[in-house]
Amino acid sequence: MSLNRRAAILPAALLIIAACGGPGATQAPTQGPTQAATDAPTTAPTGATADCTVAVSWNNFQQPRWAAHDQPGIKDTVEAAGGTYIDADADLSNEQQITDVDTLISRGADVLILLAQDTTAILPAVDTANQEGIPIIAYDRLIEDPEVLYITFDNVAVGRAEAEAILEAVPEGNYVLIKGDPGDPNASTFLPQGWDEAGLKAKVDAGEITILNMSGDNWPEDAGTYTAAWATETAQDNMETIIDRAVAEDNTIDAILAENDSTAIGVVAALEAKSYGFPPLSGQDGDPANLNNVALGKQYVDVWKNARELGKAAGAAALALCEGQDMASLTMEEGLVDPSVAPDSLTAQDFETPGGNTVKSFILKPTPITRENLDLVLEGGWVTKDQLCQGVDTASAEAPEACK
Amino acid sequence: MAVAEPASTPASAAVAHPAPLVEMRNINVSYGGVRAVIDLSIDLSAGEVVGLVGGNGAGKSTLMKALSGAHPADSGEIRINGQPQTITNPRIAKGLGIETIYQTLALADNIDAPGNVFLGREVTTPLGTIDDSAMEDATRKIMKRVNPHFTGFKKPVVSLSGGQRQAVAIARAIHFNARVLIMDEPTAALGPAETAQVREQIKQLKNEGVGIFLISHDIHDVYDISDRISVMFHGELVGTLDKHACTTDDVLAMIIMGKRPEQLSRQELAELRG
Amino acid sequence: MTNLADAPPQAVSAPPRQRRSFRDLVLQTEINFRLFGMLVALAVILLVFHVWSGGTFLRPENMLSLAVQASGIAVISTGMVLVIVSRNIDLSVGSIVGIVAMTYAVLMTDVMPGLLGMAGDFPFRWLIALGLGMGLGLAVGALQGFIIAYIGVPSFIVTLGGLLSIRGAIWYFSRGAAVSGLDEDFQLIGGGAEGSIGGTATWVVAVLGSAAILALLYYNRRQRRRYGFPLRPIWAETLLASLGVLFVWGLAWVANRNFWPRGLAEAYARANNIPIPEGGLLIPAGLPYPVVIVIAVALLMTWIATRRRFGRYVYAYGGNPEAAELAGINTRWTIMKTFMLIGILCAIAGAIAAARLNGATLDIGVSYELYVIAAAVVGGTSFAGGIGTIPGAVLGAFVMQAIAYGLSYVGVNSPGQNVVAGIVLILAVGFDAWNRRRGT
Repeated sequence: MSLNRRAAILPAALLIIAACGGPGATQAPTQGPTQAATDAPTTAPTGATADCTVAVSWNNFQQPRWAAHDQPGIKDTVEAAGGTYIDADADLSNEQQITDVDTLISRGADVLILLAQDTTAILPAVDTANQEGIPIIAYDRLIEDPEVLYITFDNVAVGRAEAEAILEAVPEGNYVLIKGDPGDPNASTFLPQGWDEAGLKAKVDAGEITILNMSGDNWPEDAGTYTAAWATETAQDNMETIIDRAVAEDNTIDAILAENDSTAIGVVAALEAKSYGFPPLSGQDGDPANLNNVALGKQYVDVWKNARELGKAAGAAALALCEGQDMASLTMEEGLVDPSVAPDSLTAQDFETPGGNTVKSFILKPTPITRENLDLVLEGGWVTKDQLCQGVDTASAEAPEACK
Repeated sequence: MAVAEPASTPASAAVAHPAPLVEMRNINVSYGGVRAVIDLSIDLSAGEVVGLVGGNGAGKSTLMKALSGAHPADSGEIRINGQPQTITNPRIAKGLGIETIYQTLALADNIDAPGNVFLGREVTTPLGTIDDSAMEDATRKIMKRVNPHFTGFKKPVVSLSGGQRQAVAIARAIHFNARVLIMDEPTAALGPAETAQVREQIKQLKNEGVGIFLISHDIHDVYDISDRISVMFHGELVGTLDKHACTTDDVLAMIIMGKRPEQLSRQELAELRG
Repeated sequence: MTNLADAPPQAVSAPPRQRRSFRDLVLQTEINFRLFGMLVALAVILLVFHVWSGGTFLRPENMLSLAVQASGIAVISTGMVLVIVSRNIDLSVGSIVGIVAMTYAVLMTDVMPGLLGMAGDFPFRWLIALGLGMGLGLAVGALQGFIIAYIGVPSFIVTLGGLLSIRGAIWYFSRGAAVSGLDEDFQLIGGGAEGSIGGTATWVVAVLGSAAILALLYYNRRQRRRYGFPLRPIWAETLLASLGVLFVWGLAWVANRNFWPRGLAEAYARANNIPIPEGGLLIPAGLPYPVVIVIAVALLMTWIATRRRFGRYVYAYGGNPEAAELAGINTRWTIMKTFMLIGILCAIAGAIAAARLNGATLDIGVSYELYVIAAAVVGGTSFAGGIGTIPGAVLGAFVMQAIAYGLSYVGVNSPGQNVVAGIVLILAVGFDAWNRRRGT
């Protein structure tokens, strides 16, 4: 076609592409059954919160947990108090997230809940919000800025829980480490820190545990295999290669520490393809398919973060900040969040970041789920019994209690 | 405008005054607002070569594209052997026995000579697959007539010389028993030896009763080969002259001035003569 | 003057004995230089990793892992060749794979048992799901192809839109959750010990393959003789036959050196009352189904590209779109068909991916388009149009995967893998450009 027509289409196409930023404020009904009525927020709505617009910037809304649990937690809390909820999804792009923040601010955000794609690349957006006087809650992922309120599950504690369970089952032997996206501090820093706190490094140094997939000598940077974008297929391919090598070098794989559920699913697929059997395997997030694998004995532990509680906490904190409360003296309502999950102190605590900042924080506690306590996820309404027990032979002695 | 009587043709080639092979009447073609061919009528008889000349943008190629189906006319009538025909695409034209050798040759560079000769009209096996061997065989046979020294049947045509590529285009045009052949600048890219070869082929085809429209900017070429010469100027037909009834200067005058020699004023004649 | 036709026949003097260069000899075999070069490159790459890994790399199990991992990309790359040859591009292939994979999963775990009332034991349920998925791939390809060919929107734009919108649509299937638990028969498509055709069948494939190669060479020679075309020298024919047969039997041998894992074999033995010999029961797994699929698709696509008019028209259009139009070819329908074809191929790759995972996640197929295009380009397909072979693309896929697998095997992390992959791509394209400049 002529040059002119071609030239005209390109900017139009670019506009369309730029506009495809995300789902905007998509309605997303919960995954699975409706929530039991145990989590009605108890913040008393005041007149000020009725005008509060809480904006959420997701980094990767496509991952199951956000729509299923975090979003309802935040949204219900905010709307029950009469506030307005808006959001945007950056689809794993740093640039897109900065644009999203600008858009949310221009749509009238009073408070910003920010799930950062990258802990430092997000800083320009943080500056913009700071200039507008909009308080920021760093949700689940850390932001290297002293002014944010960091609300997350204790990711180090998650790592600790993962490793504690596996180390108890396999105190000695050959380990495979499967990590997530190398740009995510959870993957590179916090979870491995938790693993070491549970005793992994000590055992490696003492020679009781050998890591089969080291890519160098530095600990923890070279320990294990990273999985770009936490992608399942990548984890599957990598694990197949690791199994091949182990078999070729006559090493048995005794245990596998996978940082999260999307990679753990890939690991299970690789083990099945190689008919390798199922050495104890860790994960986090409590995805239904993985919990099913726990019931089937293919995954050993899944560290569950009741993300709905996290959402509630963030929603309540956002409303409080809207009212003008000071970050340093923020206090959670007793009973807002399930006590087993709530932080030890209900007032915001200091947190030292790896980058040397000190931020205010609410750090919630994770719950490791194994075959023995699967009933917890059923009670919370997190998954249905059908989902959990798909394929489980209830007559067998190995079947978990929760499925019988 | 009066059409000159054709000079006496060899008795073996044509019966006196047959229905013309091709009759184009009142052809109009527009390209996006520009009238490229304006109310043009022209004939072609079997065994005759009509030279089509004119300056750049005169509309010669456009007129021929209307006949070959590459760019159908907006209005007007085309008759082949007295029968009115609607030629809307190249396939129909070829079905009527009209073959074209385009100025750009229209060869697919990445495909070999047999593939190009049979492009769109491949020989297939009973299973429906392409029969490359049969096509290569047929191409070798035609090529003996067109260019006996041709090798390179298996090479993509991009690696052939200009003359060889021309030979492929000609082979394609004559293999399918064309009754009407349109040749657009066939010798433009050729040296003297190859040009002579092409002239030989044209003479041979004339003897076989093929009617040929020859577009060329080389007056002498046209003069040597054609029986009649039609001159176009800005989309209109200035006139058709019998070769024997005019000189190259007359033709040149028509091309440049757009008028028949007898219509030129004394002053214009002076300008022309320099 | 003597009439030459009447002259007595003279002895045709033999041409003076020349020192034939190696290059001339190779030309006589009519082997495609580039393809051969890629095979050599692949061998070199595998050897390098074998040494790097301390001698554990070249094992049948590893080679089959590699092949299975490459299979989805290889399948799609055969279609991408035709798309790129005809001067188009398809950026949406990864998203089509994703949505079809999710369709298979949702059909078999939810819609079929639920809405359609087909319980787990419904005969050939997996086959119906497969058919529906392929229909979806075809439909998406047809839609994109129609917009590109008949409405005239550039393929880059259309398929970019497809990449985004289709990937977004997948989310709505399961709200982002992984869907798992496919039919057992379907899972076999993904490979593994049970997802392989077995020892006997693999030998049968070898026999058939060898017979086919010999038959092809014979048929080709017969055709040439029939028309009086120059023949390949007998030694060249023998060499080609030997290489081909050797390759086929080598492949079968490697596949049959891959044995069922001990536990699986023993369970099978007990179930079938077979005594277990000393050292364990060795059941050869044979060629994995994904590899068989790649071979079948590659053969079929090569046949289409070289022996069918459709294929010829794709190349003609790529070489000179105007010439194709003037030749009376229905170019728009031809272009549309290239996109329909690649849609079906994406559905096949989606089946392999879903079967391997025994389910589907949101991110199946992400970035496939890059690997597929890289495979085609490394295999010799040019963005200028008109040039590219299907065997080249399949080889390209295996070369790229060999590098990825090898680097992962020796412990180079994924950023390093990407750096190498990018360099290889540039080298391959650069080599082509340099070759073309030289005028070969």
